[in-house]
Formats: sequence, C-alpha cells, structure tokens
Amino acid sequence: MLKDLIIFSTFVKLLLFPTYRSTDFEVHRNWLAITHSLPISKWYYEDRSEWTLDYPPFFAWFEWILSQFAPLADKEMLRVDNLNYTSDATIYFQRATVIISELVLFYALKKYLTTNNMKNKNLLNILAASIFLNPGILIGNDLMCGIMFAVLLNFKHIFLYLAPAYFVYLLRHYCFQETSIQGTKKFSLKHFFFLGVSVIIIFLLSFGPFIIMGQLGQVLSRLFPFKRGLCHAYWAPNFWALYSAMDRVLIVFAKRLGWTLNESAIGSITRGLVGDVNFALLPQVKANHTFILTLIFQMASLVKLWKRPSYKNFLVSLILNGYSSFLFGWHVHEKAILLVMIPFSLISADNIALFRSYMILAVSGLYSLFPLLFKLTESTIKIVICLLWFILTFMGILSNLNYKRNNIKKYSQSNESKLSYLIKIIENIYMYGFIILQFFTGIVHQIIYKDGKYPFLPLLSTSIYCAFGVIYSWIRLSVIYFLGKDDENQEVNS
Amino acid sequence: MSKSSETVDNNGFIISNNDQDPVVDSPAERWLNWLGQTNLGKCSTVITLLFGIYVRWNVGLNPYSGQNIPPMYGDYEAQRHWMELTLHVPMNRWYYYDLEWWGLDYPPLTAYVSWICGKIGSMFNPEWFALDVSRGFESEESKLFMRSSVLILEYLIYVPSVIVFVNWWLASKSWQKRRLAVLFILLQPALILIDHGHFQYNSVMLGLTVWSLNCFFYEYYVIGSVAFCLALGFKQMSLYFSPAIFAYLLGKCIKNKPQGFILFVKLGVTVIITFVIMFFPFLDSVEHISQVIIRMFPLNRGLYEDKVANFWCAINIIIKLREMFEIHVLTRISLFTTLLAILPSCINLGLNPDKHRLVYCLANSALAFFMFSFQVHEKSILLPALPITLLTLDEPFWSSWFNNVALFSMFPLLKKDRLILPYFVVWFMWNWMGSFVQRDVKPVVLRYISWASYLVMAVIHFFDFNIDPPKRYPDLYIVLNVTFSSGIHLFMLLYFNYRQITLPYNLDEKKDKRKAE
Repeated sequence: MLKDLIIFSTFVKLLLFPTYRSTDFEVHRNWLAITHSLPISKWYYEDRSEWTLDYPPFFAWFEWILSQFAPLADKEMLRVDNLNYTSDATIYFQRATVIISELVLFYALKKYLTTNNMKNKNLLNILAASIFLNPGILIGNDLMCGIMFAVLLNFKHIFLYLAPAYFVYLLRHYCFQETSIQGTKKFSLKHFFFLGVSVIIIFLLSFGPFIIMGQLGQVLSRLFPFKRGLCHAYWAPNFWALYSAMDRVLIVFAKRLGWTLNESAIGSITRGLVGDVNFALLPQVKANHTFILTLIFQMASLVKLWKRPSYKNFLVSLILNGYSSFLFGWHVHEKAILLVMIPFSLISADNIALFRSYMILAVSGLYSLFPLLFKLTESTIKIVICLLWFILTFMGILSNLNYKRNNIKKYSQSNESKLSYLIKIIENIYMYGFIILQFFTGIVHQIIYKDGKYPFLPLLSTSIYCAFGVIYSWIRLSVIYFLGKDDENQEVNS
Repeated sequence: MSKSSETVDNNGFIISNNDQDPVVDSPAERWLNWLGQTNLGKCSTVITLLFGIYVRWNVGLNPYSGQNIPPMYGDYEAQRHWMELTLHVPMNRWYYYDLEWWGLDYPPLTAYVSWICGKIGSMFNPEWFALDVSRGFESEESKLFMRSSVLILEYLIYVPSVIVFVNWWLASKSWQKRRLAVLFILLQPALILIDHGHFQYNSVMLGLTVWSLNCFFYEYYVIGSVAFCLALGFKQMSLYFSPAIFAYLLGKCIKNKPQGFILFVKLGVTVIITFVIMFFPFLDSVEHISQVIIRMFPLNRGLYEDKVANFWCAINIIIKLREMFEIHVLTRISLFTTLLAILPSCINLGLNPDKHRLVYCLANSALAFFMFSFQVHEKSILLPALPITLLTLDEPFWSSWFNNVALFSMFPLLKKDRLILPYFVVWFMWNWMGSFVQRDVKPVVLRYISWASYLVMAVIHFFDFNIDPPKRYPDLYIVLNVTFSSGIHLFMLLYFNYRQITLPYNLDEKKDKRKAE
C-alpha cells in the first residue's frame, strides 16, 4: 500500500512539471551554483544574487552533493552569475531532486509505521505529513532522537522554534532515570554526557570549518537576518497580523478624534514588501519583545512536560512550542505553519477534540498559503488538491472516529452540553466562511475594485481571517493539554 | 470483492465468453478496497472526478497545438478563430469567410458552441476575439480560458454520460467495479492528451454518442437518435459510428412488428427534423448547403494526409497507390473496402440488435472506417477508442492493448506539440493504475505478442530520441510507428469482429422475460 502511495505521488508530482516556479527555484539554483563553483570560505559571503545562502551548513553541503549531479543535466546552471537561468534541463533536474529527496521522507514515514502499532486510520496521516523531514520525532529511542534533531537543526534552523520542547523532554526523560524508589528520579550524568557530547559533535561538524575560518559571525548574521522586519511580505496569520490590523483600525478612529499619530508609520505596513514595520498608535515592537513573548508561552507548556515527560506530552508541547513561535515570532513566514500542522496531524486522529482543533488549524493554515500561488492557472490546481486532501483526511478520520465511538458507547445527545454545542456551530460557521472568503478575494474584489484600488485588501482579509483560526486552535489545544488528565494508559490505546 | 472470472451475472445469464480472469490485483482495485474499508466509498466518485480535473488541468498547462509557431499556428488557433468568426461575421458567410486561414470545416453545432464560447470569452477580454486583428493571438489568460472551455464542456457532457453508462453496463456488479470502470475510462490517456494537450473538443462529440447509447439502453430511441444527430452535427467524424447505430435501430424496427414500423417512421422524422433545425440557417440555397458539405467533406484532399496508422498509409510503402490511380478511382476503392469491412458486423447487429452487441459494433464500425476510409486523420483513432475503452472491464487485456497502441500511433503528433513528458506520465500512470500490462489472456501466446509489441514501441522510442534518422528517410521513425500501429489495428479489427459475432445471442430477451416474471 505504501509503495502504491509513493508511486502515485511521484506521478502526481511529475504532472506538476509545467506549473509555476516560485522564486524558490532561483534560490536553489543559486545555492547549487555557489556551493559548486566557489570555495567554502566564500559561501556565506557571496551576494551577487539577492537570494543569499541563509540556511545552516548541512543544507549547504546537501546542495553541494546535489550540485555534483547537476552537470549531467545542464552545466550552465552552476555559473554563479547566471541569475534566473531556466533551461528545460535545469527545471527537470531540480524537480527531480525534490522528488528524490522526498523519497527519503517516505523512508522516515515507513519507520514510523513500523515502530508504532499502526491501525489503518493512520495511513491517512501520511498524506498530511508528507512534507515533514524530521525522523527524530518518529523514533522512540531518545538518544537517536536527540542526535537526529541536532542534525536537522543544522539543515534548517527553522526547527529552532521547536528546540525548547526537545531540550526539556530529552533532559527530563532521558537524563533523569527512574530509581528503585517509586516516584523519584535521579539525574544521570552518564546520559547527560552522551547527549551533550553527541549534540556538540554534530554542531562542530556543521559549523567547524566556518569557526576555523573565523566566519562564525557572518554565518550567524546570514542565518538570522533581523533586519527583515516584523511581518513577512505576505503577512503570516499570527498575532502580529492582528496587532497590525488593530493599529490600522485605530488610525481611523484617531483621525476622527484628533489624537497624535506617528505619521511616518501610516504607509509602512501595507506595502506588501519586506521592510521595517512602524505602528502608528500601538507600542512599537522590537525583536527582543517577540523573543521574550515567545519564550514565555513556550515555558508554559514546558513546565507540564517537565512534570510528566510522556511521549504524548512531548508531542503536544512540541506543537504548542511551534504555535508560540509562529504566533509571536519575528518575521515569521506563512510556511512555518507547517511546522505546527505536521506534528499535530500525527495525533489528530486520537480523539474528536484534538481532531476538531486540528481541522481548524489545517484549513486556516493551508488557506493562508494560497496567496503564495497567486497565478490564476495554479489556483485551480491548489483548490483541487486541497479539496482532495480535505476529503480524504477529514472524512476518513471523522468516519473512523464515529465508527469507533459507536462501537464503544452509544453516542447520546444529552452528554453534550449546550455550550459545546454552541461552540461546534460557531466553528462550523467559521469553516464555511472560508468559501465566502475565497469568493470575495478571488472574484468579487476584482470586480468591485476594477481599477486596482486597495490592492492589499484580499491579503489583509486572508491573513486576519486565518489568524483567528490559528489562534483559536492554539487556545483549544492548550485547554485540552492543560486540563487533560495524565493518563498513561492513553498511550497504549492510541 | 470477488475476483473470480465473471462470466455469469446474478441472474445466471452468461454476459460474456470472457475467460479472462482478473487475477491481477491492481493499485486501482487496492485503492477502492481501501476506500471501502475506511467507509469512504461514497466519496470515491467525487475523488475520481477531482483527480480527473487535476490531471487534465496539468496536461493543459503544457503547450497547445501550434503554440508560439507562426505563421499558421495550429488547431488551437483554428478553434479560437472560429470563436472570432462566429462572433463577428454574419451567419450566411460563416462557411465562406477567408477559407485560407482555418476556414470552418465542421458542421454547424461546432459553430454554435464556438459562438457561445466566444461570447463568454469576450466578457473577460474582447481582444481575444477581435475580428481579424486577433489572428494568432496568444496570452496566458486566453489560454486559460480556452483550456477551461474544453474542461467544462467535457465535465458537462462526457463525464456524466460515462457515469450513466457504467451504472447501466455494470449494474449487476459491485459498486467497486463500477467506480473502477469510471476511473479507467476517465483517465484514458489518448483523449486527455488530445483534448487537453493538443487542443480539441472531441469529448463533446464522444459524450453525445455515449448519451445516445445510454438512451438506447433505456429504450428511449427517439431521444437517443437526437443525441446521435447532435454528435454528427458537432463533428462529421462521428459518421464512423453511424453504420452501427443505423443497423441497431433498423434491427429494432424490423424485430418488433408492427410497432417497429411506427418506430421507423418516428426515427426518420426525428432525424430529419433534427438536421433541418441544425442546418437551418444554411438551407437558404443549394449553393450554400453544398458549400457547407464541401467544407465538411473535402474529397479532393487525397486518400490520406500526413502519416496515419491505417491500411492505405501502411500499404503505401510497398504499393504506391496514390501514384498508380486517379483520385476518383481511389475514392471508389476506399469506399468499397470500407463497406466490405463494416458489412459483417453491421449485418450481425442488424439481425440481432442486442445492447451489448451494439457497443462492440460501434468499435468495429469505427475501426473499419479508420482502417479503410478516405482522408483519415490520426486523431480519428479516438473514435474506435471510445467504445473499446468503455469495454475496459469486459476486455481488460485487449482494451488496454488497443489504447496503448492507439496512443503510441499518435506520438508523432504529440511530439510535434511538445507534449512528450505528459504523454509518458499519463500513459504510464494509467497503465500502472490498472496493472494492464500484467493482465492475463487465453491463449497465453497473445500475452507474449503484446509484450513483444510493447518492446517494439520502446525500441522505436529509444531510437527516436537518441539516433537521428538517415538522411534518405527523414520520416523513418514515423513510418515505422505507423506501419507497426496499423498492423495492430488490423489485428484488433479482426478480434473485435470475432468477439461481436461470438457474443451470446438473445441475451436482452432473456433478461426482459426474467424481469417480467
């Protein structure tokens, strides 16, 4: 069955060859060129292209390995000054590398299927989890988990968002061992040593060459470009999007009531480009503010993880960490929502409450990615794919949950309180609202504002609407997590 | 889901002499089983339809016929031009207007549909169809519009007809078998690549034909014949089917006396009225209607144009017929052989107008016309491909072999259109889904023959991509392709004739008697 899935997904991707190539294409072509044609000492200094190398060294090595095969397709793509080069052979080569590296992903998923006792329903999660590249989360062995995560961090430092959860879990679960006396844990120096040394070795392997050359500062400045501004170009649906929107609303009021404003700020955030953001009325937000906020919310979930470091709690706190970084982080890209969605999908089939939270997150998160595919030709594809994915994962999970529930106990209406019924209705209305949103941003907006007035309005409304969904699902999950009972048996039954 | 040889239906009647045991467990069957297990069976049709849209849309993103190739461009420009012309030129000049630049050469229904498309397209951007100045107009948006028009028309007409067909044809089988059939039929590579790649509206004609079949199954003969007349009115190519349809209806009339005679009159009147309505604007003078007919049937173009996988083109390698005979002699030779080829199957159908026999006869009639008729285009292979694809679950081995060869025979055309990648992807995907290449057949030697044929196809492709043809024979690979394909097509003609004649007789009557009990 899994083999079928792999073959089928390869066909699906092959069909997509003639579609729109985002700037990512040029980004990766550039990185192939840099790693192939330049010596290591120049990798993090090269800036002829605007897409400078801003991933950690392991990813650079990955590009280097790929670039060894590039001459088979088209040597010209490896010239560093060959900006925006797009020969057919180049396109085929890069698409092929994506497909092949995703085969690695499937290997990881296969591991998942064999280590946990999988029942049929979890196969549905394969589709949702198909972009996840972390084998660490899937392996029960703690030490390997830690090593894998360290490796992963050195590929894409976006996973730094999740690091605290890993750190706390590994520390608590691995480094503190059960003693013969019930309930107490003893700190194991040996395990701590193993973990610490393994992680340090990995980081040395990755950053070592650059430390020797004295380039560590440059590399770090490339990896963490704090100059880029609070909000990404397309406004990830996070807390700051709502914050900015609130600021805009208040500007209108302020003009009416004659309050003093920060005049320079009025034009800044709606440009849709990258740049520093200034707020007119609400307090300015700096990078350290976001950092502190993120940390505070992450701490909250980590406390519970520390108290009871079960695998289930680890997963949920991982998800919550991802949420906090996404919602409160600096210059968050919409793609980061995947970091939350994918681990969430692994537990979404466990019970109906988790499922509903996941559903809201998934729809909001996916929908917020739509503006990235703005060309009309691709919009049909994205709608079709999302519909297909939605039907398969949600209907499948839902029908299986109902099936299970009916088997276990008779579902009685009286069990459901009036409040939860109301909440359900509101959630459903919110979900259907997406259809209206799509209609509005896709067609109505173009008809009403034919002359191109308010060009930012569709993006703005998309961001805000999705932000509500993301924040709501975060709160919902937190409620489940913090108020849920610590039932060790749950892990066995899931 | 039982995988045993399905030669007997629930009522104990033999449906087919099909000894082909579907012991192969294909990915598509596994998929449907899984859907059934996870209680998603109800969604399977929607999923198939959505996936169908996905495949067609992606194929559509590739170049269309003549994209970016001035001065004449290709079939896409022809269709666009007809939308432009029907929009701006008065009706009585439609078949006269600038015949050198893609003059209208399909019957009026195509013109009316083009007019509707042109009207809708002009709402988005009138520049696409501005009279004369829009010749060779190419843009992202107009391509999107044109591609969408094909997709929407297909999903309005062809797709529902297939679903209704399958529901009747496989009514006594499991729901999985029906969904399976829909999946295989809707993902047939040839139609997708021509309609959504090369750019044509074949699915409208094919859909109308299937609707007429559906009507005949439910014994609505009058409506069915209207549907078929509409198909004829859309593309005159569907004449390939007409002997079979005619034989069936005639057989029905003769069988039930005296209601048969009334039916005969009713049908005659219906057909005449339908055609009069369709051609009405062009019936004002003999000269006008002759012009229309000449445009539809350009007999002076010769026995065949380009290379097509039929009998005449293959023979031409040895016997240069075009040099030996005058054109009117060739016309007669072709007419004679075509009649000879369709006679057995049509007489057989006329004497025994059974519903199952009808579908086989459609295949035989279309295949016979393809092999021996005048001015056949390689795209016409889509006509026999329709009934044969509808028979996919009844004849998995033969149907898939035919479709594979049919697609291969169109490769030179697709190569010219730069559709090589989607050609391979859709082709392999369809074959993988149905595990068609691994299908069993008795006698087993046929399986090896089919594998040999696939090997030949692979070799021709390999040589085509890697080694330049010798200077003396620049079309060597095309000729090889055509000769090989026409051989297989001839073989198929013989097989399907054989199958039609050996179908059980009086099946419909037994069914009706059973129902009455």
